[in-house]
Amino acid sequence: MGTDPDSAVQRNRFFEKLTPYLFISPWILGFLFFTLGPLIFSLVMSFYDWPVVGERTFVGVDNYRVMLTEDPLFWDSLWVTIKFGLFFVPFNIILGLLLAVLLNQKVLGSGIFRTIFYLPSVISGVALVTIWAWIYSHEYGILNFLLGLAGIEGPNWLGDPSWSLLAIVVASLWGLGGTMLILLTGLQSIPKELYEAAKISGVPAWARLVFITIPMLSPMLLFTFITSIIAAFQQLTIALLLTGGGPLESTYFFAMYIYDNAFQYFEMGFAAANSWVMFLIILALSMLVMKSSSAWVYYEGEMKNKEQADG
Amino acid sequence: MKQLKKLALASAVAALSLGGTAMAEEVIRFATWDSDESLAIQQEIAKRFEAANPGVKVQVEPYADGYDKKLIAAFGAGSPPDVMYMWNYPKYYKSLMPLDELMARDAEAMNLSDIPAGLINTTRIDGDAYGMPAGFTTHVVFYNKDMFAAAGVEEPSENWTWAELREKAARFRDKENKVYGYAVEAKPDPFDYEQFFWSNGTRFIAEDGSAVDGYMNSDEAVEVLSMFADMAKNEEAVVIGIGDNSSGSALFKGSKLAMYQSAMWSKSGIEEAGINYGVATLPSFGDKPIHSSIGASAMSIAKDTKNAELAWKFVKFFSSPEAVKLRTNDLPIRTSVAKELNMTTDPTFKPFFDILKVSDRESNAFLKHENWGKIQTNLERAIEATMIEKGNAKKHLDEAVKRSKRHLN
Amino acid sequence: MVRTLTYGALIFLSALFIMPFYWTLITAIKSVPELYQYPPVFWPSEAQWENFIIAWFKQPFDVYLKNSVIVVVLSTFGQLLSSSLVAFGFARFQFKGRDAIFILLLSTMMIPWDVKMIPLYMEFNMLGWINTLKPLIVPAYFADAFFVFLLRQYIMNVPIEIDEAARMDGANSWQIYWRIHLPLMMPALVLVGTFHFMNAWNDYLGPLIYLNDQSKYTLTLGLSMFKGLHETDITSIAAITVILCIPPLILFFFAQRYIMDGAIGSSVKG
Repeated sequence: MGTDPDSAVQRNRFFEKLTPYLFISPWILGFLFFTLGPLIFSLVMSFYDWPVVGERTFVGVDNYRVMLTEDPLFWDSLWVTIKFGLFFVPFNIILGLLLAVLLNQKVLGSGIFRTIFYLPSVISGVALVTIWAWIYSHEYGILNFLLGLAGIEGPNWLGDPSWSLLAIVVASLWGLGGTMLILLTGLQSIPKELYEAAKISGVPAWARLVFITIPMLSPMLLFTFITSIIAAFQQLTIALLLTGGGPLESTYFFAMYIYDNAFQYFEMGFAAANSWVMFLIILALSMLVMKSSSAWVYYEGEMKNKEQADG
Repeated sequence: MKQLKKLALASAVAALSLGGTAMAEEVIRFATWDSDESLAIQQEIAKRFEAANPGVKVQVEPYADGYDKKLIAAFGAGSPPDVMYMWNYPKYYKSLMPLDELMARDAEAMNLSDIPAGLINTTRIDGDAYGMPAGFTTHVVFYNKDMFAAAGVEEPSENWTWAELREKAARFRDKENKVYGYAVEAKPDPFDYEQFFWSNGTRFIAEDGSAVDGYMNSDEAVEVLSMFADMAKNEEAVVIGIGDNSSGSALFKGSKLAMYQSAMWSKSGIEEAGINYGVATLPSFGDKPIHSSIGASAMSIAKDTKNAELAWKFVKFFSSPEAVKLRTNDLPIRTSVAKELNMTTDPTFKPFFDILKVSDRESNAFLKHENWGKIQTNLERAIEATMIEKGNAKKHLDEAVKRSKRHLN
Repeated sequence: MVRTLTYGALIFLSALFIMPFYWTLITAIKSVPELYQYPPVFWPSEAQWENFIIAWFKQPFDVYLKNSVIVVVLSTFGQLLSSSLVAFGFARFQFKGRDAIFILLLSTMMIPWDVKMIPLYMEFNMLGWINTLKPLIVPAYFADAFFVFLLRQYIMNVPIEIDEAARMDGANSWQIYWRIHLPLMMPALVLVGTFHFMNAWNDYLGPLIYLNDQSKYTLTLGLSMFKGLHETDITSIAAITVILCIPPLILFFFAQRYIMDGAIGSSVKG
């Protein structure tokens, strides 16, 4: 049984079957080493009253119960996060796309423009927040100074609960250079021949955008969609340093709720429970988007795959 | 070679962290929240300790603003530094070494009676001291002498009141140029806010930590909040802390503020900015006695340190006269040093010590209840809401009391 | 007409985007009184360029720079290699459990760091990696979900005929990855490199948690040392921020051409 040519073929088959796993093995190993352990650990933690130092006591699902039924901040912060996401996600994608389309044209000095749009993404968090604080400051800020020149009395951007969330959205959008680059890369990978052919057949510019650009860009749009949702849920630094969640919890994001429970109140178990809920929410949203993607995402590579399978 | 030269030029920090590793036998990890100049002071003291104790290396670990986060990770994972600055005793004391026995043992050599007991008391949980103070600060009001002279306003007197402060502040108001007499913090750190409650004869929480009702929302408490709200409403003060990251110290340094309530940590910056300043004690509420909060920089030792004796030696060194003299960024914990440096008579230092003398009646709320962190959030919210609405203090404080019931257990 | 409009829009937007950088720059060279002046000063009456040098020598920034360069170079290399391998695996093979594993991979992007921090610290502590640069470098060799997802999307848009033609010529999967897809992926790899570079360069939390000794600190950690508990050294923060921006910006300026050379667009004929 052992030495006939069949087994060589089989061995080859085996290796062929193994190949994809070998390709993805770096991630698998990394997951086992650096993610799975902490993940299980945090799940266990979420069933404990777990102060940073001192005794840990098993409390069952109490952390989850308190969060969902007793702590008003859970729902408040979730709602703030959703409101933020409803503004941030579409604007991040649409403005990013707009910039990418602008820069995808052959314009003089486009390299410099691209560098400029990416600039805010290069500045580190501490400094970026200092800049925004100076822009938004009620009494001493540049924004209200400029509005004052135009005879308008500017609001207290970060101090008025009805403006603060919007102010945070705008400050967050400043970093859309990353989204722009991703979409630009996507745009660049669209074969020029498609556009040329369309042009020759007299297809107008808007139709080229809708029927060529958007479908061909859809894999990257899917990517930015999902990562923007995640970014919205994990939004922390800007709000933490700029408003500290205020005024009156108007910018108190879910990520800040977790942060406070862990680092203000030292309730590691409760924070772990918060995190798991957040994790499940984002996961559900992402799965929803991924599931829907088969309807609107077009993969040049995969399409051919299917055709081949059919043929 | 070039690299070496550059390093030598760089601050002492580099020399400290890179040099001398080869011969060191024992290493002490020392974590600090200091940054910039005050960090350089810590490093200088550590260096002198190394010089006095051959074979010992002190690894100074500065984390600045990230200090609390770093400590949580280190304690949570069970590998804290040997020695560290500490303020949050209620959360950490179970992993810290009680120091009373060591202090009693070495009281004479340390000349412990030279250090006010009130300072050590800021580190006590259930009667045990978990920290050894190395420096401290009380709270004062800085004022800009040039602005006072230009406006023809009389400088604060020794026993001044809030009513006087408000009257003076009102005279600096200049909306056009954004100049104000005083700044009210709308989202203050409650730790430094309780002094106003104390000075008006109330506190955040009952002495035994059993209740906030009748304290946090007492008439005196309402009076304090209402006063600050009125100051904002009448534009006797600019509101900072919400919607305005311009810190009070920045405004004071830019001559936009005539008076600014702060502590020792602002002093050197004000001098650097070239402001001709004076220092006054906190104003009083009528004829009630004032009481400042005391910020002590105290050092703790991790319970599980492998080098307890050496760590204690290091901590003692930080409270020695030699080290205390080096600490120019806070105040000397040793009465003898304060006298020697003429601080008790120097007008820019005297108010800090004057108020220290009368600030030994109260201790901070966070030492009295283990859930204070959460209760405090409700109080912060009440202060913030009052400052936004420029009034309704009673309503918001009652609400804070109601919300806090759940955490009092 | 369209051209003018495009330029108009670009220049207007550029002004908006360049403002933070401009403000950081003038903050760095202002004198202390001008820093707090109102109405704001748009160009200092006397530019104090020496503030850059003063800030740099307030801390051992040359040591920090060395550490940052080590971390960024070694981890970027690892990230590019591992993420492209994994992405290729997900994009070009049908295998058992692929979609489930991919969802698992995506989900790792969604775990908040707050809860991972302590267990990871424990793990690195057991490995003896605390106070070394390893926790900041080694994980990059095990592919980050964000980059895998990005590269997968890119590869999936490459026509399958290219692979088929290569297979006809007798190439195996590894050769197809190495000889064909890696060059084709160039724009996306530059993108991943840029993103990872910036993440590593600006990372604050990782170095804060895993490094203890100043001789191991990175640039961002040094920068954060100017923000104390009570007082902030705004001038030094601004000065170091400007210095920290320059290497990535120069690098980015040169790298972005590769993004623009639409590798697929030009090399794939029909």
